[in-house]
Amino acid sequence: MTRGSVFRIGVLRLTDAASLIIARELGYFAREDLDVALSVEPSWSNIADKLAYGLLDGAMMPPPLALALQLGLSGSDGPEAIIVPAALSLNGNTVTLSERWAAPMLDVAPLSAIDNVRRFTAVLRKRRTKPVLAVVHTFSTHNLLLRYWLATGGINPDREVTFTVVPPADTVEAMATGKIDGFCAGAPWGEIAARAGLGRTVATSHAIWNHGTEKVFAARRAVAERQPDRLQAALRALLRASLYCDTPEHAQSVAEILSHPHYLGLPTEIILTSLPGAATRRSGGGYASADVSVFAANGATYPWRSHAQWFLQQMTRWGYIGSDVDCSAACDAFRPDLYAEAARSVGISIPTISVKSEGYHDATWHLPALPTAIAMGPDRFLDGARFEPVWPPSRQD
Amino acid sequence: MVSAISFSSAIGEMASRLLGLGTVRCEAGNLSSHLRVLLADSDVERATALELRLHEITDAVIFRVPAGSTLLDVVAAQAPDVIIVDMARPDRDALDDLRRVGADNPRPVVMFIDRDDRAFMEEAIAAGVSSYNVVGAYNVVGAAFPDVKPIVTAAVAIFRRYQQVADDLHSARMQLKERETVNRAKSMLMKQRDIGEPQAYRWLQRRAMNENKRIADIAAALLDEGGEKGAPK
Repeated sequence: MTRGSVFRIGVLRLTDAASLIIARELGYFAREDLDVALSVEPSWSNIADKLAYGLLDGAMMPPPLALALQLGLSGSDGPEAIIVPAALSLNGNTVTLSERWAAPMLDVAPLSAIDNVRRFTAVLRKRRTKPVLAVVHTFSTHNLLLRYWLATGGINPDREVTFTVVPPADTVEAMATGKIDGFCAGAPWGEIAARAGLGRTVATSHAIWNHGTEKVFAARRAVAERQPDRLQAALRALLRASLYCDTPEHAQSVAEILSHPHYLGLPTEIILTSLPGAATRRSGGGYASADVSVFAANGATYPWRSHAQWFLQQMTRWGYIGSDVDCSAACDAFRPDLYAEAARSVGISIPTISVKSEGYHDATWHLPALPTAIAMGPDRFLDGARFEPVWPPSRQD
Repeated sequence: MVSAISFSSAIGEMASRLLGLGTVRCEAGNLSSHLRVLLADSDVERATALELRLHEITDAVIFRVPAGSTLLDVVAAQAPDVIIVDMARPDRDALDDLRRVGADNPRPVVMFIDRDDRAFMEEAIAAGVSSYNVVGAYNVVGAAFPDVKPIVTAAVAIFRRYQQVADDLHSARMQLKERETVNRAKSMLMKQRDIGEPQAYRWLQRRAMNENKRIADIAAALLDEGGEKGAPK
C-alpha cells in the first residue's frame, strides 16, 4: 500500500470525534473503498501543522481554529490551504468550576446558566481574587463560549479572570492540584470532574448558544481540487457515520468503540453521558453535569457560513482579529457546495441557504431544505441576543 | 532487533560518557551573550542526547522542563530564546497561546518556519519536532534565523534517530509475534493432520499464495477459526 493511497485523518481524544472513529471502525470508509488511517493527535497544534504540511489529509477541528489558520493567526502557515466541507458536531462542552467557586453558587438549587453567571459575578466581586480559568486552545469554541458566558454576567474576561490553556485531558488533574479554578472543555471532562467531586458544571455550551457548531471536518484544499472523488467518498462515509452516532440506540456501541485505549481510553459509562439519549445517564447534582453532542440532527453536519461569521465576530470582539481585517476569505473556506454533493448521494436534506440568523427560535422550527425541511431545535443565545448573518456570505465587509 | 538495541545502548553510553563533561558547561562568563534554548522533551534520554549535540555545535545555554513544572511556567521563569518542543506533548497548545501579542504577553513566541525548505519542515513535523523563537529576547538581539536553524536541524536529526530505533524495535516485536503465530498454526496443523512440520509449513505457504496473503495472516486467521473450518481435509 503506497502512502498516497491512504487517506490520513487526525482526531483528538474527544467524544465529538465519534463520527470519524465510527466511520473507520464500522467500515463506512471501507465501503467507499477508502483506506483511512486515523491518527490520534495530542494537540490541536499538531493537527494544524500536519494539515498545513500535507502529513494529514483531513482532521477534526474547532471552527475558530480553522478560521484562525485562514487568517494566519495560528499554525505554522504551511503551504497547504484548508477547507471546511462539513461539520462534525453541535454542543458538547461544559463550563466546570471547582467546588470552592461552585459551592456558594449552587447551594440554593440547580439554576440556569444565566443565573449561574450572575452568581459567579457576585462571588468573584466579593472575593476580590482572580480565578484561573482554563480553555483548551485560544482559537477554540470553548474560549469564545466561556468569554460569552462571563461577559453576559458582566465580567470582563480580560481583566477579572486569568485565562490559561490546558489540554482537555489535563483539566481534571489541574483542578485537583488547584492550578485552575475552572475550565471549559469538551465532553466528557466536565463529567469526570463532577464524578471525582472536584467541580460542578455551571453551564453547557448548549445553554450559552443552542446548537452552535462545535467541531468541523477540515481537509486540505489540494485533496478537494486534485482528488475530488476521494473527498466525496470520505464525506459520504462521514455523513452515514454521523447518522449512526446520532441514534440513541447505538450509544452503547459507539461508547464502547470510543472507550478503546487507542481512542479515548476512558470508561464506556462516562463516554455514554455525552452521547445522544444521555439525559438518564448523567451523574446527579449540579445544573447539568454533561452536555450532549449532536452529530446529525438539527443540520449538525452542515458547514454554516453564518456560524463561521459568528465565530469571526466573537474573535474580533476579544481582539484576536483587528476590526479592519477582511474576513470574507476565511469564511469562504466553509464549503457548503462540497457538502451538498455528498449529502445528496447519501439522502440527507440540504439547506437551501448557506447562512441563517441565530437567536430567533425558542422552540423547534423547520429549516427550508431539499428534498424535505429539516426539524431544528432552538437557536437562542444565553443573553437573548440575535445574530444576523452577512449576505452574500462571501463579502464579509 | 540486535541493531536497535546496540544503537540505543550506544546512545546511552555516549550520553553517560559525555554527561560528565556536560556539567562543566559555560556557567561563568557573560551569559547574556549566549542563546537560551529550552528543550521541552519528556523523553529524558533523547533530550540528553540532543543537549550534548547542541553543546558540540553551539555555545547555547540549555534548559529542560523539570518534572512537575508546566511548559508555561518554565518559559516564564527561564525566558528562553528558542524552544524545542516534542510534538507528543499535549501542552503545545498552551505554547500556541503565547504567540499572541498582548499586554499580558510582552514577549510573544513565534514558530520557527523555514519557508524556503518545505522538505525540512515536513521532516521536522514527521520526526515530531516543533520549535519556537521568542521575539524581543532579553539576550543577544533576539534569536536570529541563522542561529536557530542549526539547533532545529540537530533536534530533527536526533528525533529521527530515536524514531528509527522505536520503529526498528516495533517491527522486530511484530516479526517475533508473527513467527510465534506461524509456529502455533504449524503445531496445530501437525497435530490435526498428523503431518510433519515441512508439510504444515507448505500448506500455509500454498494457501497464502492462493489467497494472495501473507503467511502470518493465514496463520492468524487459522488460529482465530480455532482450527475447525480452516483445517485441511
